[in-house]
Amino acid sequence: MALVEDRRRVTTRLTILQSLITVVFSVLAVSFWVLQVVQHAKFEEMAENNHQRTLALRAPRGLVLDRDGKVLVENRLSYSISIDRERTKDLNRTIRLLAAVVGMDEPSVRAIVERHRREPAYRPITIVQDATLPQVAAVRARRLDTELPGVVVEQVPTRSYPETMGAHLFGYVGEVNDAQVANGDGGLKSGDIVGQSGIEKVYNAMLMGEDGAKRVVVNSVGREIRTLEEDQPTEGHRLQLTVDIDVQKAIEDSFDALAFNGAAVVLDPNNGDVLGFTSRPAYDPNAFAAGIDRVTWASLTSDEDRPLNDRAIQGRYSPGSTFKMAVATAALQEGVITPDFKVHCVGGATFYGRPFKCWKKGGHGTMDLRHAIEQSCNVYFYTIGNMTGIDKIHKWATLLGLGEKSGIDLPNEVQGLVPSPEWKQQYRKEKWYAGETVSVSIGQGSVSVTPVSMAVYAATLANGGTRVTPHLLKAVDDGSGWKPVPPPEPRSKAPLDPVKLQAIRDGLWMVVNQAGTGHNAILKGYDVSGKTGTAQVISNQGKERAGKTDKDLRDNGWFVFFAPRDNPQIAGVVFLEHGVHGSNAALVAHHVLDTFFAKKEGRPAPPKPELKANLVP
Amino acid sequence: MFERRLYYHIDWALLFAILALCGLGVVMIYSITSAQPRVGTPMHITQLYAICLGLMAMVVTLTFDYRTFTDKSHLIYIGLLVLLLYVLFFGMVQMGARRWIPLKVFNLQPSEFAKVGVALVLAKFFGENRGAPSWTDLAIGGALTLLPLWLIAKEPDLGTAVTLLPVFLAVAYLAGMKMRILGILALCGILAAPIAWKFALKDYQKSRISTFLDPSQDAKGAGYQQIQARITVGSGGLSGKGFKQGTQGQLRFLPVAHNDFVFSVLAEEQGFAGVLVALGLYLFVILRALEAARLAKDRLGSYLVLGVLASFTFQVVYNVTMSAGLAPVKGLTLPLMSYGGSSMIATLAGFGLILNVRMRRFTN
Repeated sequence: MALVEDRRRVTTRLTILQSLITVVFSVLAVSFWVLQVVQHAKFEEMAENNHQRTLALRAPRGLVLDRDGKVLVENRLSYSISIDRERTKDLNRTIRLLAAVVGMDEPSVRAIVERHRREPAYRPITIVQDATLPQVAAVRARRLDTELPGVVVEQVPTRSYPETMGAHLFGYVGEVNDAQVANGDGGLKSGDIVGQSGIEKVYNAMLMGEDGAKRVVVNSVGREIRTLEEDQPTEGHRLQLTVDIDVQKAIEDSFDALAFNGAAVVLDPNNGDVLGFTSRPAYDPNAFAAGIDRVTWASLTSDEDRPLNDRAIQGRYSPGSTFKMAVATAALQEGVITPDFKVHCVGGATFYGRPFKCWKKGGHGTMDLRHAIEQSCNVYFYTIGNMTGIDKIHKWATLLGLGEKSGIDLPNEVQGLVPSPEWKQQYRKEKWYAGETVSVSIGQGSVSVTPVSMAVYAATLANGGTRVTPHLLKAVDDGSGWKPVPPPEPRSKAPLDPVKLQAIRDGLWMVVNQAGTGHNAILKGYDVSGKTGTAQVISNQGKERAGKTDKDLRDNGWFVFFAPRDNPQIAGVVFLEHGVHGSNAALVAHHVLDTFFAKKEGRPAPPKPELKANLVP
Repeated sequence: MFERRLYYHIDWALLFAILALCGLGVVMIYSITSAQPRVGTPMHITQLYAICLGLMAMVVTLTFDYRTFTDKSHLIYIGLLVLLLYVLFFGMVQMGARRWIPLKVFNLQPSEFAKVGVALVLAKFFGENRGAPSWTDLAIGGALTLLPLWLIAKEPDLGTAVTLLPVFLAVAYLAGMKMRILGILALCGILAAPIAWKFALKDYQKSRISTFLDPSQDAKGAGYQQIQARITVGSGGLSGKGFKQGTQGQLRFLPVAHNDFVFSVLAEEQGFAGVLVALGLYLFVILRALEAARLAKDRLGSYLVLGVLASFTFQVVYNVTMSAGLAPVKGLTLPLMSYGGSSMIATLAGFGLILNVRMRRFTN
């Protein structure tokens, strides 16, 4: 009996268990159905987010080549380490860990993140630009899901300036700032690298490419497994500049050898092609390419020599004797004098009751225009300037390019000043004094010029009156082949009488090739023509008053030149800040001209110059 | 000994379902491990060896009358206790736990065999008592279960240890334990939970449970596996991503995919369809084994079948639930499918006993 009951109980309880198990399995099946069928879309998306990443592929900026196709500015690949906020659960922890791994201090990492906080979260915040290989290795050695959650290592093309030269010409690139994003020109977005100066800035729209994107499969530790699709970035347009790398190097080498600050601009006088362009002191554009560090930036901005300042287009200086050709042109073209007009110099003269000195104490004796230019006789130019009058000097100086913007394709060019009675009335509310005209006649007084306008001045005298517009862009390749960019129209064309102009050119030729002050620039067989200028930084009286100060009070030196005298192919200016005398500037011009003609005729380039400046005033 | 006519009474359908699940397991293990670099024997080959060893063990547990085993169950039980003690002191440490005895060919995990041992000893114990078990019987049966359970929990391997409880409960239940007592035990369990929370559980165990209740509170830590499991299963959809095409398992978003989470991989790559097939096979195996318990010629046989089946069923249900991210993550494998030699051998040996009981239902 007990056995039967026993049996029945076992059967009943087994039946209960069978039902229970069946129910449990049914519940399981329904659960899986809910997860796999009902909620499938949601989980599929989550799985995709898990293993797929979209990475931005930064477009390389366009290459910049010289007029012969030699590379001036290129790109190199560098690593950047970023934080992808979408992948970080705990941003503070990631910041802490990353700072430790790459060897940065935590507050500075935090500051970078803070700066980009308001940007959309999907855009990674770059913490280390141009990371060192040890930094990359340190990050790569860690699991990117738990140990360094949300940290991304990317390879990005970075601007590279192979030779440290022409810093102000090329400019530099940097992350776009808020104002530039707000302007929205060219659809800039935060994080973009844009040109901030020089041609990088002026031609930014062309140089910037179009970023691409890459969809990749990653595994659980964030390693890329394979690429799903790739939208290749489009490289920016390639630019060919008018610059000749050898001329540019010649300028840089000469400045290095002389160790003066200053500027130089060298043009093709026939069309305004800029062959070389420099401003000293310079900076290293490479320092900006991957984000400049605060210390370097601070040292650049606080440097009293102002290396970021482009002296060639932003420096205004007194032209000194180099202005005399403008006065001569005015006097000749207005028919005030002929080239044979003679003045007797006894070392000084009196105008309007005031004495004006010549630089040569004993005087030059009697001289005509050619010799007056050769000898840079002040008394001669006092006389003819006074005869011509300020209005006509102003007119012709302007026609020759002085006191005007040159229109060069570089940002923030400033305008020099050739004074006139109108200008004085308007800005100083004062009447023009005739005595001022006498000072202006030798490039003193309120005349001020930029080096680039002096280069135009030299070119205009060289080509017979066409005020060419200096320009840097020669051709553009947007990917479909090179398209030449025609030189911009000349600013003006001065109706110069060739015979009269020739007298001035003769004088300039004599400055270099005969008894003049430009002898340093002589180049046998090339008829170099030029004019030195030595402009006081401070008046003689002031110099005595200042006595011994730390400030450099030495005179500035100028040399404007072109060559050959007849049918010139090159023209330009060299300006040496505190260069003591214009003849030192002629040393630079000599090496530049030597290099230029050697290259033109296929001769080996002259070696790096070992220039010795004459520092005796 | 094995008589020839017994051969005809072997439950071939059950055996076929078991082998089908083993095969499914090997395929999933191959899918998940073949693309990953590994030194030594590929895992699916190792698993095939384990299946062969398991089938040999099954032949052994089939050949002798199950009463031979239950008669010797006290010896088997003591032997197991010795092994468990040995492991506790001399076992191999892996992943912070001392669970294995290293042998030349593979690492023996005695706790897997403890399930069968406890089933044998409990079947014997309750089978000898007529009528509903008394309090004393329950206490002795409980003690017989808790002793190895405690040893295993000390390794620590709480997951495997806990699988011994269903063995006791199922056998006691079938032996006629009053439903009232079951209720009281359940109540005690609920009351003991907070105390266990406070004193017995380790921090990592607590965090597993608390993150189960709210996985998002630690999505990259303890809750990670659970979320990933759910994503893995859910993204599989109706028909799955295809053999070796699962992104979650293949790209290792899901940890120990070949082991604890083999069912998730199945769900991802073969979809809901694959899940239904596997669940159907498991359900068939369990119901078919319960049928063997019903057909058993004596109580001993019924108890033995249920004892073996209880830990199996518990583990299957728990692991499948966990695989879908619906239960706290625990180191519990899926019997027959998960990678692991000891588990495979012990499970197949256990099914040998179940087949044995059914096969010998007409013998005296």
